[in-house]
Amino acid sequence: MTTQDVRSHAIDMSSVFNGQQDTSAEQNESCIKVENLNLFYGEKQALYNVSMDMPKKRVTAYIGPSGCGKSTLLRCINRMNDLVDSVRIEGKILLDDENIYDKSVNVAALRRRVGMVFQKPNPFPKSIFENVAYGLRIQGINDKRTLEETVERSLRGAALWDEMKDRLNDNALGMSGGQQQRLVIARAIAIEPEVLLLDEPASALDPISTLKIEELINELKEKYTIVIVTHNMQQAARVSDYTAFMYMGELIEMGKTKDLFTNPVKKQTEDYITGRYG
Amino acid sequence: MNFRRSDSVSFLHNPAYYVRMSEITSNKTAKLDSAMQVSAASLHQRWRLLKDRLARYGIVIGGWGVIVAIVLIFFYLLYVVIPLFIPASAESLAEYQIPGHDKGKTVLLAMEEQNEVAVRFTDQANAVFFNAHTGQPILTEALKMPPDLKVSSFAPQSSGEGIVAYGLNNGSVLVAKHTYRITYPQDVRVITPVITYPLEEQPVVVDTEGGALQMLALQVGEGSTTLVAKTASNKLKLLNITKEKALFGEATLQRTESVLNLAAENIAFMLIDKEQRYLYVASADGNLSFYDISDKSAPVLKQLLNVLSPEQRINSIDFVNGGLSLLVADSTGLVSQWSVVRDAKNNPAMQKIRSFKVSDAALMKVSAEQRRKGFLTVDTQGVVGAYNTTAERELLKLPAAKVLPEAFALSPRANAFLLQSVNGNVNFWKVDNEHPEVSMRSLWGKVWYESYPKPDYIWQSSSSSNDFEPKYSLTPLVFGTLKAAFYAMLFAIPLSLMGAIYAAYFMAPSMRGVVKPTIELMGALPTVILGFLAGLWLAPFLEEHLLGVFVMLILLPVSVLGFGLGWQFLPKEVRSKVPDGMEAMLLIPVILGASWFAFAVSPSLEALFFQGDLRVWMKDSFGIDYDQRNSLVVGIAMGFAVVPSIFTIAEDAVFSVPKHLTVGSLALGATPWQTMIKVVLLTASPGIFSAIMIGLGRAIGETMIVLMATGNTPVMDLSVFQGMRTLAANVAVEMPESEVDSTHYRVLFLAALVLFMFTFVFNTLAELIRQHLREKYSSL
Repeated sequence: MTTQDVRSHAIDMSSVFNGQQDTSAEQNESCIKVENLNLFYGEKQALYNVSMDMPKKRVTAYIGPSGCGKSTLLRCINRMNDLVDSVRIEGKILLDDENIYDKSVNVAALRRRVGMVFQKPNPFPKSIFENVAYGLRIQGINDKRTLEETVERSLRGAALWDEMKDRLNDNALGMSGGQQQRLVIARAIAIEPEVLLLDEPASALDPISTLKIEELINELKEKYTIVIVTHNMQQAARVSDYTAFMYMGELIEMGKTKDLFTNPVKKQTEDYITGRYG
Repeated sequence: MNFRRSDSVSFLHNPAYYVRMSEITSNKTAKLDSAMQVSAASLHQRWRLLKDRLARYGIVIGGWGVIVAIVLIFFYLLYVVIPLFIPASAESLAEYQIPGHDKGKTVLLAMEEQNEVAVRFTDQANAVFFNAHTGQPILTEALKMPPDLKVSSFAPQSSGEGIVAYGLNNGSVLVAKHTYRITYPQDVRVITPVITYPLEEQPVVVDTEGGALQMLALQVGEGSTTLVAKTASNKLKLLNITKEKALFGEATLQRTESVLNLAAENIAFMLIDKEQRYLYVASADGNLSFYDISDKSAPVLKQLLNVLSPEQRINSIDFVNGGLSLLVADSTGLVSQWSVVRDAKNNPAMQKIRSFKVSDAALMKVSAEQRRKGFLTVDTQGVVGAYNTTAERELLKLPAAKVLPEAFALSPRANAFLLQSVNGNVNFWKVDNEHPEVSMRSLWGKVWYESYPKPDYIWQSSSSSNDFEPKYSLTPLVFGTLKAAFYAMLFAIPLSLMGAIYAAYFMAPSMRGVVKPTIELMGALPTVILGFLAGLWLAPFLEEHLLGVFVMLILLPVSVLGFGLGWQFLPKEVRSKVPDGMEAMLLIPVILGASWFAFAVSPSLEALFFQGDLRVWMKDSFGIDYDQRNSLVVGIAMGFAVVPSIFTIAEDAVFSVPKHLTVGSLALGATPWQTMIKVVLLTASPGIFSAIMIGLGRAIGETMIVLMATGNTPVMDLSVFQGMRTLAANVAVEMPESEVDSTHYRVLFLAALVLFMFTFVFNTLAELIRQHLREKYSSL
């Protein structure tokens, strides 16, 4: 991101907030609690003592410059970091008051509760139907009617049903990037997770597809707790209820999006959102 | 600020920067510099273009070169193979009046090897030799016959060789032979005909009663001669004359006589086989009596049968070369082949093995070739046909004479024939019939060979005997090829694919860095070493430890799985001592231990359950034969050779499945195993498929291992304990000993062509399927 871009974002910010509904009135129960999380890649520490609460059925956005650890933190929530060799994690992440790093936790079961969508659309080389049904099939659900219902519901949920209902047997790789990303979201919500992690879901997409994804996030938060990592501060401001600003592996500030963008407590936050570094 | 730094770096690299700098320093040199810059740039540009173009042409030429080379190989193979399927052709060379027509009517027309001199024996016991091309008489010789006697019958020897016999009116037989002396005075070949007398110059008395002999059959062999004659009193007399040489002193003639127990009135044909073991006597209406005359004093009637449908007549009868089967030509234009086949009780019996519808007219003469299993026919309308019995193939059919034929002579090499018509005209034809033994049917179908109890697929291309019927069935070879490939793949696919999946997906990178190159190195092992080891070490070892191998086959997977299961229950402190992905190392002692145990325990198991020897037990209980060089050996040895190819390609395919797909699947709550089965293997399927196909192509074309480890017996048996012969090994074994341009040579090229087509079709198919899979499953 160039300095130029960041500035323009900062300038646009006020206009963005005007359209956003104010949720500050309600006090939400928290869904995910991060407690004193430290993460090391070998000798190198990537997260420093991060603690935060993410409320239920709200969108929490992580912002921060590249390499600040926001994606790493996101991946901790469904233990995708376990796949990285030599990773070491200290601290706790509580999902509904249960530590997901407890020895007794079944990682596959955890990931069914915490779905994830990646930066680059990653549909499987299968039909659209099979992509969405994949999460059910691996749980051993093969009943045709259940699958059909779930696929329709999920595609509707991802605002893809009307476009794709006649092409369910086509290969998913034939879809456009934006469609693929919405398909991946449909695939994630097909298994009805409690939390949806979005890792820069729109960064590889064109503006129109980005808009659609953002609209979709707004709809999805009625049912799911959403955590989104984004580079695009405008996007964070548009879609999230809460925003966490991270820098160099530390959580600098977290608060309601409106507050953080209009009235940041920390100097670093202000510097970042006004584009002094990026 | 990252971008600024990088910006300034690229600024330094910008040539325009230097131009600007030089502008500031010196105006004069600036122009020169910039001009040099420009020309250097354009030179560089041109050089780049040239390199690009050269590379393009080089690649195009290389690519087309490969295609052209393959097409050339294909056409060369085709060029050698095609003559096999070209039918015979014939050309009329001359037509002339019969020479010496005052010497009597022709009873036999014959030609010598070079097709230069022909002879006709007349009913007045004259031999008239003449030039086959012109009809000019060369020599007319009256046979040495007592002046007071008359010819009453005539017969040529059943198997040719220029021997003829005249039956005389006093019950005696005169045996003569026409031979040819070849000399080269002044380097010109001169063929001089000679009449010799293989027995005595005096007629041999057969019928002591002294009546005229009505009919004759004879077979003159080395030291032993058998004659059968129909006497004036309608008896069949058999006479055997054996020359017995005392250790010192003169040879004495031993005569054995007997009378056959058969009413001889209707007899029209008599033939004695080459070995003087069987006598065939036929009446014109098709009743054939088949005698065993091994004991000349007591002939035994083995079989009495009718070889014709009712209302037909035998018009001519002849032995197929070798004397193992008879050709019967009848009045409806049908030639049937009857062979002596041994039945279940090992008794010889005549059986019809095939028939040819040769003509709509009655046949006048059937004449077998002397060197091959072919024959020519002449019908009453003068149409000559050439056929091959093994291939069941009609090679030639042409009207050779316009009037009723009287006599027919086929040259010993079957490349010319003479046809004499009733009006005394002789036609001389040249025949070009190089490869009659091969037809689609004889290559691929079941063929009923002479002396075989039933039609079968057999490859047996040569033998020590000249009378041998070549058996060119490619079916057992193709079968052997596929069988060897099948067992090799059975061994290689599970091993290499599972290894590839483990190495690519689960193994620690450091271990993979050792394992993968090691297995790839295995592929560089010369196959002759593998074949050598397989043939000389593995085959005897397997024979010795067969049960051990089977026990190992069961024990290995069980112990590996058992160890894996046990590993799960070990305390974490123990498990964490082994680095992630290095667990496979722990299997090495497990596998070694299990193998040792399998071989250690097998002798006692064998003693306990299989009466001490598994092979004997299999033979006794199920009738399964054990061949030392068998499919098991080949499967293991060739499987070993194929493993590296499959492993390395499949491993690459699995390894290159995009990370974001596996991560996506795991993020949906799939276990690593589910991810592997449902996403990784699916995405890697084009690569895995092509790995298998490349392995299969290699297994089909592999030569040295199968050559050394299969025993090379062309049997068609699915049993894992039997050997096989593959197309490739067959070509390698037989090509050095086949005569260039012979049928055998061309059939070997055909085998090579079939192999070529095999790999071509397999690879094309594989590539098509792979493309299709890639279109469907590629995700990058």
